[in-house]
Amino acid sequence: MIIVHELRKTFILDRQHQKELRAGKSDRAINAVAGINFTCKPGRVFTLLGPNGAGKTTTLRMIATILRPTAGTISVAGFDVVKRPQEVRRRIGFLTGTTKLYERLTPHELVKYYADLHNLDKELFKKRKDEIFTLLGINEFANRRIGKLSSGMRQKVSIARTIIHDPEVIIFDEPTIGLDIITARHIIDLIRSCKNSGKTVIFSTHIMGEVSLLSDDLAIIHNGKLCYNDSYENFRNSMKQNSLEEEFIRLVEEVKQ
Amino acid sequence: MKTAFIIFKKELLDTLRDRRTLISMIVIPLLIFPLLIGISSRFIISHVQTAQEKNLRIGLQTSSNAEEFKSMLLQANKVQVMENLTAESGRSLIESDSLEAFIAFARDFDEQVEKLHSGNVTLYYKSTEKNDIEKQRVLEILKEYEMKLRINRFKKLNIDESTINPMKINEWNLASMKERIAEVVGGLLPYLIIIFCFMGTMYPAIDLAAGEKERGTLETILTSPANRMQILLGKFCVVVLIGIAAAIVSMIGVYVGIIQMKEIPSELLKTILGILQFRSIILLLSMLLPLTVFFAAVLLSLSFYAKSFKEAQSIISPMMIIIIVPAFIGLMPGMTLNTITALIPVLNVSLATKAIIAESASTLLLAEVYLSSIFIAGISLYICTKIFDRESTIFRGT
Repeated sequence: MIIVHELRKTFILDRQHQKELRAGKSDRAINAVAGINFTCKPGRVFTLLGPNGAGKTTTLRMIATILRPTAGTISVAGFDVVKRPQEVRRRIGFLTGTTKLYERLTPHELVKYYADLHNLDKELFKKRKDEIFTLLGINEFANRRIGKLSSGMRQKVSIARTIIHDPEVIIFDEPTIGLDIITARHIIDLIRSCKNSGKTVIFSTHIMGEVSLLSDDLAIIHNGKLCYNDSYENFRNSMKQNSLEEEFIRLVEEVKQ
Repeated sequence: MKTAFIIFKKELLDTLRDRRTLISMIVIPLLIFPLLIGISSRFIISHVQTAQEKNLRIGLQTSSNAEEFKSMLLQANKVQVMENLTAESGRSLIESDSLEAFIAFARDFDEQVEKLHSGNVTLYYKSTEKNDIEKQRVLEILKEYEMKLRINRFKKLNIDESTINPMKINEWNLASMKERIAEVVGGLLPYLIIIFCFMGTMYPAIDLAAGEKERGTLETILTSPANRMQILLGKFCVVVLIGIAAAIVSMIGVYVGIIQMKEIPSELLKTILGILQFRSIILLLSMLLPLTVFFAAVLLSLSFYAKSFKEAQSIISPMMIIIIVPAFIGLMPGMTLNTITALIPVLNVSLATKAIIAESASTLLLAEVYLSSIFIAGISLYICTKIFDRESTIFRGT
């Protein structure tokens, strides 16, 4: 379970960012996330939908304890991300589409490394590794350097790394970005299987197709604020436009006004 | 500690598979030192031998005087004399490299000597070197001739040599061979070791911090149960280990370079090898440890600040000059370890190393070097932890 309450994140801009955003001297701070609330329940997929720069990655990074919230609270599997970050990290798996792997290691070495960090004992590691490697078809390239693998193979290794410790909460930050259809399908299948095994799943995307394919609950984020937060079923039933895209644009435009 | 060790093991494996690190840590010091020492010593020795064995062509303008000098020249080893030259022809032959030296005796040379005055002799030569061996060979013959004239003059005047020379200076240099070598090698050795130690830490530091940020792998480790202190400690220990290893390898390189020199006198070789004893090596390494910690902390801080591998390289490259300058000052003659120099980072290690090699290091000053190095290493490590803990640094540029 993830409970997000009045979450805020303010970034202090450096000179270069101020120039890029054409911000005045007084606008040194930017509110990337501006007081959002939502709950992700076990056995359901929570989708965070929003355009680029809406605050999706910042929110997920705060949930994953990489960034510290400026205000508000986040509870992951019953632990506060600020007060008990290590306990949170023990219970999460974090996968992004842009995350890379250590190219000089082999898939076996890499997955073993993360298993060791999660304090998995030898037998449990072997069992989990055998299951995951067989499921994803990693065994045939398990001892080749990651630098020599194709992007599809690498993404499979990324998945194995994310779930080797059997986390109860899994965070996917635009996990299919830049992937080919077949590799993206592996991710979609993984999200489904995580949901079916009762895990709490939160994933961010700006691809409408993925929303309809996976979502149980949906939150639409724009400029750091939520403009929709309910079940996906209710979203579909309350749509004022014909397509998902059009309804998404309508909601975003409504917030802008 | 267990988590930090897991990170250390992985980072070490990853680093040792990086070709750039291996080249800067092992290949360069192991190849460069023997090559540098071998080539330069062979070049110097062959240059000296050639100059000593060269057939000297000396032009002479004597008129009818200084016949005795002419016969001395002809008797000298490997000397060819060209007589009856004019001042102009002698000078032009030197300019065209047809002569190594031209000696012109004044017309009244014998007359002046006879009158117990100084006779004028002019030596022409072409050289840009301070210690020109060919010039020294000609000067030696001239000095010998001068001595002969002086003895004749004393005899003529019936004066004993001691009457003219009221004082006879006897020189006794009590500095041991080790101390004399330490002044020359002792400065150079730490200079080279410090630079290779810095270079050794540079690539792993950039790769483990800026490289990891650029490759996007840092995020995954930040979401693992390891806390930032454990992550930093694991990375930091690898950088320090590689830095020390690079320093050891460069010492091995120097050792290999020295023992392959066939021309080196055995006594000198024995003294140099005596310097590289187990005790002095351990002392040198213990001196290098806090310095490497300082290098690792500074380099990791700068690398964590950098957005990419390339930016880290451009930030760190000027650091090389900051390191080279104090290390170079340690090379200067007369620079010794004292209570003030013992506090200056890099310079203190350079001077302490010199003192260790010369076996003239004071325990108190060495302790001061250790304490100041540990203090600076501690501060730089503390700053490094603060930098690694800052979101604005870790996610700079994202």
